[in-house]
Amino acid sequence: MFYVGLVIVWQLVSSSHFLSEQVIPSPFEVGKALIMGVKDGSLVYGIATSMWRLIVGLAIAIAGGTVLGIFIARYETVNQTIGSLLLGLQSIPSVAWVPLAFLWFGKTDGGVIFVTSIGALFAVAITTHSGIKSVPLEFIAAGKNMGASGLQLITSVILPASFPHLISGFKQGWSYAWRGVISAEVIFSVLGLGSLLNLGTKENNISQVIAILIVIMFIGILVDAFVFKRLERSIMSKWGPR
Amino acid sequence: MTKLQAKNIVKHFDHNGTSVLALDGINLDVQEGDFVCIVGPSGCGKSTFLNILAGLEKPDDGEILLNGKPISMPGPDRTMVFQEGALFPWLNVIDNVEFGLKIAGIPKDERRQISQRYLDMMQLTKFADSYIYQLSTGMKQRVAIARAIALDPEILLMDEPFAALDSQTRDLLLVELQLIWERTKKTILFVTHNIAESVVLGNRVEIFKHRPSKIKKEIIIDYRRPRLAEDENLRKYQHEIIQELKSEIIEQKKAGD
Repeated sequence: MFYVGLVIVWQLVSSSHFLSEQVIPSPFEVGKALIMGVKDGSLVYGIATSMWRLIVGLAIAIAGGTVLGIFIARYETVNQTIGSLLLGLQSIPSVAWVPLAFLWFGKTDGGVIFVTSIGALFAVAITTHSGIKSVPLEFIAAGKNMGASGLQLITSVILPASFPHLISGFKQGWSYAWRGVISAEVIFSVLGLGSLLNLGTKENNISQVIAILIVIMFIGILVDAFVFKRLERSIMSKWGPR
Repeated sequence: MTKLQAKNIVKHFDHNGTSVLALDGINLDVQEGDFVCIVGPSGCGKSTFLNILAGLEKPDDGEILLNGKPISMPGPDRTMVFQEGALFPWLNVIDNVEFGLKIAGIPKDERRQISQRYLDMMQLTKFADSYIYQLSTGMKQRVAIARAIALDPEILLMDEPFAALDSQTRDLLLVELQLIWERTKKTILFVTHNIAESVVLGNRVEIFKHRPSKIKKEIIIDYRRPRLAEDENLRKYQHEIIQELKSEIIEQKKAGD
């Protein structure tokens, strides 16, 4: 409903000719650009490209960030060395990694994936660390008491016990990764939604630019609703409302 | 046969930078199949002593022998029922009970068989698929007991497991625990600050002295089972323990705790 209202307001603004079509195109024009994109396949291909880069980059970030977070939480020396460095690294915006990615990987998938994962990795590592630190000691004691030790203690007690925390880290990681993919694609202009944005700018096609922005936003909404809301609901159904 | 032997257990605490002697050379032998209670004032170090037996804390001196062999690490041969249960909220009841069995690498079918037996014993079968937050405090402690016995430990360690229960639930579990003990022939070491509880459960009650802790006295309770909390004949044992502890409480006040 809200979105329908938004489109109506948008149509009213654009048909009032208060702002020119070059500033705010009508929803009709944007819709046309979207349909065009679907028809010639560029939009579908762009979404697919950006999504697989996101998935690979985020998978690397979650795997690496979780392992890093575990090490920081378990070993005080790692915490005092790498742990303090992490906070600094996390403050670097994803887009600032682009020049380095260019020098290391060139304008390749690897470069985009590097930017995607590096922004998310530190966020995941930091929340994993704090999640593990907040695991009640009695859970760890109970796990040891029933024979778990070493890696088994981590995988069967510490990680599941900190899972509600980990999810918020993954969620943060995903939003950084999504920003990272688009930023790198805009700059590198190597396929994907970001390069479609770039193309729209070059062709002075504002309808396409806005159409792509809407697609980027909707993917964000869908991922939140279908991935994270579901994960959160499944945690709630086990841990109870908290 | 001696199941568990604690020899001269010494433990210090760090309290605001100063070292405080918590356990001052505790010696205790627990015979196979015995039901031993440790009773003492709060903060007397009885839970610390239990943690040391479980291998969750290290003593500064002394040693623990299980079946004559020294032990230092935690292990499923000494399972513990924790005060608040320490059940895992990410697992349902049956998976909580099977946790240690899974760690031990027991195949799924066998795990199910074992867990069902103990769920049945604790009258939890209906709740097998429930998650922990859905259970009452009494139910949680039933799960905690099932989880600990399912591992068939050499000795069952219980750390004030009924402290948070209302009195009706507690009285019921006191009877049930005696029946389980008779049925499984387990060796049980039960820590409590509740004197009535200790005389209902224990064949022997070890009275802990206030810090630095030592065993002040042992009381043998040779009386038929299952004992009920309201049994008049248990009063004289309770009275005896109260007399012993009275002086402890006065000392505790003097110490300013």
